Amino acid sequence: MDHAEIKDLMPLKALARLDGDEQRAVDEHLATGCEECEGELASFIETLAAMAVVESGGDAPSDRIWSRLQARLDEERPARRLEDRATRQPSRGRGLAILGSAAAAAVVAIVVSYALINSRLHSDTSETSNEITELTAKVIDIQRNVDTTGDQLAALQAKVAQTTDLTLASLGPDAHVVRLAGLAASPSATGTVALSPAQGTAMLEVSGLPPTPDDKEYEVWWIGAKQGPLRAGLFEPLSSGATIVSLDLPPPGEVVLASAITLEPRGGVEKPSGAMYLKGDFPRR
Amino acid sequence: MAAGDQDALATLNQRYGRALSAVAARILHDEADAEEVAADVLWQLWRAASRFDRGRGSVGAWIMMTVRSRAIDRLRARKAREPRGNDPADQVSTDDPSNEIHSAEQRRKVEGALATLNDGERELLQLAYFSDLSQSEIAERTSIPLGTVKSRMRSGLIRLRDALQGSAR
Repeated sequence: MDHAEIKDLMPLKALARLDGDEQRAVDEHLATGCEECEGELASFIETLAAMAVVESGGDAPSDRIWSRLQARLDEERPARRLEDRATRQPSRGRGLAILGSAAAAAVVAIVVSYALINSRLHSDTSETSNEITELTAKVIDIQRNVDTTGDQLAALQAKVAQTTDLTLASLGPDAHVVRLAGLAASPSATGTVALSPAQGTAMLEVSGLPPTPDDKEYEVWWIGAKQGPLRAGLFEPLSSGATIVSLDLPPPGEVVLASAITLEPRGGVEKPSGAMYLKGDFPRR
Repeated sequence: MAAGDQDALATLNQRYGRALSAVAARILHDEADAEEVAADVLWQLWRAASRFDRGRGSVGAWIMMTVRSRAIDRLRARKAREPRGNDPADQVSTDDPSNEIHSAEQRRKVEGALATLNDGERELLQLAYFSDLSQSEIAERTSIPLGTVKSRMRSGLIRLRDALQGSAR
């Protein structure tokens, strides 16, 4: 089909009433970046939106919709707090840190009181001093254990949150779950991308990637039909086991054709420039 | 509007909630389902707000396209679960109250533009937009040849757009 024939199909594209072959031809043409056809399509979508509002009418109270949104906000709060904890204080859960400090302070207070009482009861100050040193060392050990446990718990909580997001993304009504295959740079690497715009979630699980050099990290991409490669996230693989990464969602309205992972300078780049390690195509719907 | 800003979500709901719900209700013929779909779309827009590309069209057009697609997906899922004979597309909606996405003036313009369509075009556009029927199914339902269905949908939408653009000038 030539440009004029494709342009003629834009009203039916806006109505999502194209046949399979027509749909493919139009999508491929739009993926080339034809601004005239994009503009034509946008004008029909705007027109249909205006028509839909007037033709549907309706007066559903927006407070009922708000109560549904409010419920989602309430559901999200614990998860968001968890996320904040994992991102803002990667080495330690904030709540646990406070708990740990409070416990340590209490033990220090007990130790000091004990020491003072001891010093009054016993004239042998050197013995008391030794006991204080010994107890202080125990306090430091307890603090260290609390910190270590806090770190482990925070890491587990972050992992659970990521796994939950991955599951949610996989189970969304609009979910795409796409396998990424290792390319020449890392043929044994494997990955899975789960994308659910409805759940507002996009996740990547990847394993078998080689460690990154100090000045580089892996960058994940959505390959959009309209905008080409779009940044989805940066990560460094864990030294063992699968790495789970939360990705940015593709922009609304974009049709994702594929997802890919490249090795890029630390901090990422606007468009892929390094070797591609993994890639997977999204099924056409 | 930044994702995570609860006030922004409330504003989105005030601005688009009723219209979204109305469009979804026209497709689904179920108020609760329609409200859920409307909430889904607002939630998605709110979560992805910072990445919305304004150069690709208005927010209103995007959310209308999204709510329609979501509602039709839900309708299909419901049809798959329900016994035959409960096809909501067989029912007739007479809802026509107000909404807030357009000002009264804009609404008059759209109604004026819709009045430039002939009955066949308007009916076909409604069927194509608010149902999940394929072109062939629309042709069967309306007893109009498939080629005519396609050409009327196309001509109707072009006429509607041109009338709206004309009234905007």
